[in-house]
Amino acid sequence: MSTLAKRNRNLIYPALVWFFIFFILPLSIIFIYSLTTDYLFTGKQVTFTLGNFLNIFQKKHYLIILLRSLKISLITTIFSIIFSYPIAYFLAKRTRFDKALIILLMIPFWINYLIRIFAWKLILSENGIINQMLAGLHVIQEPLKMLYTQTAVILGLIYTYTPMMVLPLYATILKIDDSLVEAARDLGASPIQAFFDVIFKLSFTGIFAGTLLVFIPALGSFAIPIILGGTDSVMIGNMIENQFYHVGDWNFGSAFTISLAVLSIVLVLFYSRIFGIESIYRNREF
Amino acid sequence: MKEKKGNIFLMIYTVLFFIYMFVPIILIFIFAWNKGEGYNFPLQGATWRWFIELFKDGMAIKAIKNSIIIAVVSATISTLLGTALTFGIIKGISRYRAAFLTLLLLPVLMPSLTIAISALVFFRTISIPLGIPVVILSHVSISMSYVFLIMMGRIEGISLDIQEAAIDLGATWSQSFKDVIFPVLLPAMLAGWLFSFMISWNEFIVTYFLIGTEVTLPVYIFSQLRFGISPKVNVISVLITVFTLIIILILYSSTSIYKKIRAKII
Repeated sequence: MSTLAKRNRNLIYPALVWFFIFFILPLSIIFIYSLTTDYLFTGKQVTFTLGNFLNIFQKKHYLIILLRSLKISLITTIFSIIFSYPIAYFLAKRTRFDKALIILLMIPFWINYLIRIFAWKLILSENGIINQMLAGLHVIQEPLKMLYTQTAVILGLIYTYTPMMVLPLYATILKIDDSLVEAARDLGASPIQAFFDVIFKLSFTGIFAGTLLVFIPALGSFAIPIILGGTDSVMIGNMIENQFYHVGDWNFGSAFTISLAVLSIVLVLFYSRIFGIESIYRNREF
Repeated sequence: MKEKKGNIFLMIYTVLFFIYMFVPIILIFIFAWNKGEGYNFPLQGATWRWFIELFKDGMAIKAIKNSIIIAVVSATISTLLGTALTFGIIKGISRYRAAFLTLLLLPVLMPSLTIAISALVFFRTISIPLGIPVVILSHVSISMSYVFLIMMGRIEGISLDIQEAAIDLGATWSQSFKDVIFPVLLPAMLAGWLFSFMISWNEFIVTYFLIGTEVTLPVYIFSQLRFGISPKVNVISVLITVFTLIIILILYSSTSIYKKIRAKII
């Protein structure tokens, strides 16, 4: 390593110090909270326990919320893959205007998601656009109850996070060599077989990268269930807020938060083991 | 070469997809000027009433001011720290690169809620009062990662030969950085600044937990949405959206930067 590189290396320290104090240290503190019984640094004796984590699985109420959150995020991810795939394929292989269209796609993504969710409130509410249209066409007599349901939450999540699925998928499909498809066709594969055996299989990296970018934020969503959901759509995020703001049980709230963090870290590490961490960076598009 | 057959269904789908993406936003725009209080068709004519009401709302004005302060300060800090970090890693470290990448990716990939809660507990534990400064501290640690993502491609493309040449010609290390490297990095730093400005400007969850009694635009919108909806929210959404479009335009129209990043990312 040259002396120049050594001098350059010193540049990392201010940022790393910041990163450790304001990111790593706070995570470590809630990790300690999740494993203990009382408020820290108050002079009181705290004891080590696994009870906070066990609580999540022992109380039916919490388990239901955990499973519901996993279900909602999973449905969101599956639909975002289904919705994104054709568009990602079209952008990557069938149009020359892909770059302009990607920028166009990024516009809704950049507009604050609370605003986009607000729009869905207008669309789904009892005297919203859909109900007015259906009533106008005499399809329904009574307005449909769509807002404040789990379905509304899922619709909002799909709408919010689908662009995050399109981008890595597009980047992955773009890199697939067309001659592989031609070779499959020459060897007797039908267009559909060639698509599934070549393009689809080679785009797994993109699907997985997109899953990270959709599933993790969906699982940690907080505002969308409050704005679009009802009592049957309380998710982990709302549960955690409740622990900190209303119940005041920091230890249990921390255990919930740590579980969420660990789950996302495991997914990221799993991804980087299979595809290499650098590919997430390469698959991102701004 | 891009094929041109079997396009029609994909094309229709693509058009429908973009309609799906944009219609909700267009609806917000329409109702910002609608005369009626409700959100009903047919429309009842145009009015500027909601715009005027918004500017009379002291809370909204305060939210705009706070949001700008937070976004400008945290974008500036995170661009400076993030650029130095990226340069140091790409041009100074050859081992443990993957470990650094994974660590720096965490704030991007982790649910914001975990970052928000851990910061809340951290600041409360060390008895630092919540408010704008605390929000900035946390925003920087998130947007620094995005600056890293943006700068990485650009910095990989720079050859250290120019820095070495400067030093061979008698420059000190800091001169070589200031006079040779910094000018090359400047356009990318501008992109990084705008990017982290946008991250901070839009950030809701971390802000919501750390802002205390203050208010920012996303927090204001959230509180409006939580307790009924007023057409003022449409107006503020329109203003934010127009502002956002201008920033995106600046971000993308600096095409040379964009191409460099693209060439690396894809």
